Amino acid sequence: MLDPDTVRRILDEALRNGGDLAEIYLEDRTSLSLELEESQIEHALRGADRGAGIRVFYGDTAAYAYTDDLSSKSLLRAARSAASAAKGSHRTQVLDFTRCLSPLEFPIEKPLDSLSEREKAKLLHRIDQAARGYDPRVSQVQAGYLEYRQQVWIYNSQGLWAEDDREIVEIRIAVVAQDKGIIQTIRSGIGAQSGLEVFDRIDPLAEAQELAQSAVRMLDARPAPAGEMSVVMGNGWGGVLFHEACGHALEADFINQGSSVFAGRIGEKVASSLITLIDDSTLPARRGSFRFDDDGTPSQPTILIDQGVLKGYMWDLAEARKAKARSTGNGRRESFRYLPLPRMTNTIIAPGDSYLEEIIGSVKRGLYVKRLGGGQADVAKGDFVFSVTEGYLIEDGKITAPIRGANLMGNGPAILSEIDMVGNDFEMDKGFGRCGKGQRVPVGVGQPTLRIPKIIVGGTE
Amino acid sequence: MDYLRLAQAVVEQVSRKGVEAEALIMAGQTTMVGVNKGQVEQLSQATPKGLGVRVIKEGRMGYAYTSDLSPQGVEESWRDALTLAESADPDEYRSLPQPQPIEEEDLALYDPALDTVPPEEKVALAKEVEEAALSLDPRIVATIRCTYQDEAWHIYLANSRGLADSYERTVTATYLRAVARDEKSQVAGLGVGLSNFYGELDPTAIGQEAGKRALELLGGKPLGTQRATVVLDPFAGAELLFFISEALTGEAMQRGRSFLLGKLGQKVASEAVNLVDNGRLPRGYASAPFDGEGVPTSLTRVMEGGVLNHLLYDHYTAQKDGTRSTGNATRGSYRHLPRVSPTNFYLEPSPLSREELIRGVEAGFYVKSTLNTGGINPVSGDYSVAANGLWIEKGEVTKSVSGVTVASTLGEILKNITVIADDLRFVPFYGSTGAPTIRIEGMQIGGK
Repeated sequence: MLDPDTVRRILDEALRNGGDLAEIYLEDRTSLSLELEESQIEHALRGADRGAGIRVFYGDTAAYAYTDDLSSKSLLRAARSAASAAKGSHRTQVLDFTRCLSPLEFPIEKPLDSLSEREKAKLLHRIDQAARGYDPRVSQVQAGYLEYRQQVWIYNSQGLWAEDDREIVEIRIAVVAQDKGIIQTIRSGIGAQSGLEVFDRIDPLAEAQELAQSAVRMLDARPAPAGEMSVVMGNGWGGVLFHEACGHALEADFINQGSSVFAGRIGEKVASSLITLIDDSTLPARRGSFRFDDDGTPSQPTILIDQGVLKGYMWDLAEARKAKARSTGNGRRESFRYLPLPRMTNTIIAPGDSYLEEIIGSVKRGLYVKRLGGGQADVAKGDFVFSVTEGYLIEDGKITAPIRGANLMGNGPAILSEIDMVGNDFEMDKGFGRCGKGQRVPVGVGQPTLRIPKIIVGGTE
Repeated sequence: MDYLRLAQAVVEQVSRKGVEAEALIMAGQTTMVGVNKGQVEQLSQATPKGLGVRVIKEGRMGYAYTSDLSPQGVEESWRDALTLAESADPDEYRSLPQPQPIEEEDLALYDPALDTVPPEEKVALAKEVEEAALSLDPRIVATIRCTYQDEAWHIYLANSRGLADSYERTVTATYLRAVARDEKSQVAGLGVGLSNFYGELDPTAIGQEAGKRALELLGGKPLGTQRATVVLDPFAGAELLFFISEALTGEAMQRGRSFLLGKLGQKVASEAVNLVDNGRLPRGYASAPFDGEGVPTSLTRVMEGGVLNHLLYDHYTAQKDGTRSTGNATRGSYRHLPRVSPTNFYLEPSPLSREELIRGVEAGFYVKSTLNTGGINPVSGDYSVAANGLWIEKGEVTKSVSGVTVASTLGEILKNITVIADDLRFVPFYGSTGAPTIRIEGMQIGGK
């Protein structure tokens, strides 16, 4: 995007007041989104975000400036702005850049532009028809299509030169069903870091019908119970449980601050021996994957918990510098407008050996969570919640009545130790997850079905 | 560059293609400071800008934005919007609003002095906030994301019906979580301050608020599962009201996405409930002279004495219902299409003090902080959150509570609001929603 000489001039300028390390992050993102509701395409939007962020480290401090104007003049101005905030003690030389190459391939079979905008719009119409055609009680359908291509170039004064090219595509569907004054809504999505071939693998029309079926079924749902009970978490997207229950608390910024319940506990048993938790940014086609993170560190799998024992945290460059640790390639940012933070990528629980029937059959009275909404975590207390959008009672080992949405709440460290059955039915989510920690980035989760012997269900009965 | 001229030029150029056109340009300045343990962790500065172009061609709407304001970037953008309109479906109600006279009044949104505050002073302020939290009590051991942030925006809007207007606004904020720890527990408490005027932020009060909110929750224990009176403090109240407000737009009603569907004109809440949306609230975080499509903002009395009297409208949803826009087309930035949503939305306070409200509670759960994602649903009306707080016995706070859920439905909650205090506070994490302390009867608590 920029020639190395220009980059060098900018980094030199950024280091003119001293500093330990200077970096430039260049981004070119183009996006398309289409939104359907009321059976019509209402919004069609294209966006272009081009810009650069310049960061100067001096000690544990990062001075940052960004610009959405990529002219040399404007980039040099941003470099001066970052430099003016930096107060380094020594001059740092900008080394020659060596391009880092990644062995990872994220193949694209059907490029995003192999369908026209109109054909993409038609796909949303077919989704709408599929959901409405399922049952007359389906009263509204929202369907959104989003694609973007994000190209990034990262250079730093230690000679780092990394490039990445990330293409994300997703379809989000919400189905509203209405009958006798009761309204229920179920939302989900499908997507991938790939081309449009993801919609050959997961049929959006079948997904729409499945959501319609769930929404209609939820019309008969009884209010959820309140209080402590056993919960069986479904596989796939159910992995958001771990994302919230312990994932955030294993991000290095909370560890360095000393605010996480897991700070200083490496080597300790923090979970049931059945639990192995991995964050892996190298998985092909997954939303949380990349070749290089937004600090330019190569992606890697990181074992966080191995058979119950805490093995590691997720580090980005800034937090690793503070603790004299090595980055695990978890530095991510929403765009050039933000500094990177340590973030999860694709967070997965390794499979166990229990069968689904066995897990359900073992519960006398509890809840089967088939579909989860989002979740939230309090890293200091270790508490987390997530909302159940489709759940069923389990009575005497059998799935019975659907129950209306309720939050489940638990304490991460407590729940981790208590999990007593892990299924053999590992699955990744369908590729629409997004995590917000002040900045939004795409993430993946995956897990087998598992049993939590007791967790608080926030119902009304 | 004269951005209003540029916005008008884009509109003129696009409308020559026989379409309705609108151009929004935003140009601003931002600073963000993060401190930890007395050290600056980050200091970020920028001057962002960008253009959003909306095109309506025979009722079909296309939108494109760019941060590249070069002649080439601008042209690429409006051409994209034109092309995209072809992919959208026609809708007879889709059009751009006529310019309307805008009342000249000072909404106190812009602090010209912010521009003259050097970054070092902002860093010092953020450090002061953190220090106020850490020095409050030895049990305060850390802070999470202690941040100072400001933005100054110049907003220019033009459309092919002849609208060409601009305004400017500033916002300054600081926030943090303070972590309190004793032998048995660790809790984080939130402190936040926000003002259009830099000089009005009180670093000591904000830092101490975070510390106090953490300390009072130390050692919390769950309650037994029971039905009980619940008191929501303004943070939890604002969260509740934010989700209720989402069900009160013309859009939510027209599309059957509201738990109050078909209830316009009916009594849906207790007498005590008066809900107001005021886009012209002086110093309001969401105030502006005109909304995201140029319609003057206004004050809308959504609920009066518990009766649902008015909905919130943008131009499109108003056309559809044959009424006037209430000036509720909001947009996060030039990267977003206008969407109907609340401005400064709040529950009107009463003259009763918070202390008196608490004193009147025989036994109840005083909710100070919640965790929620998707547990409050403005479509189905379900309400379920995880909560921490204090137990009230005979009008006095007796112990700290944690690890429980609180549930009801939004419809029941509105009917069961019995007492409202005088301490209205706007909480910026949920749009610009304001709540006083609220007492609600008969909520379900889930615990041990």
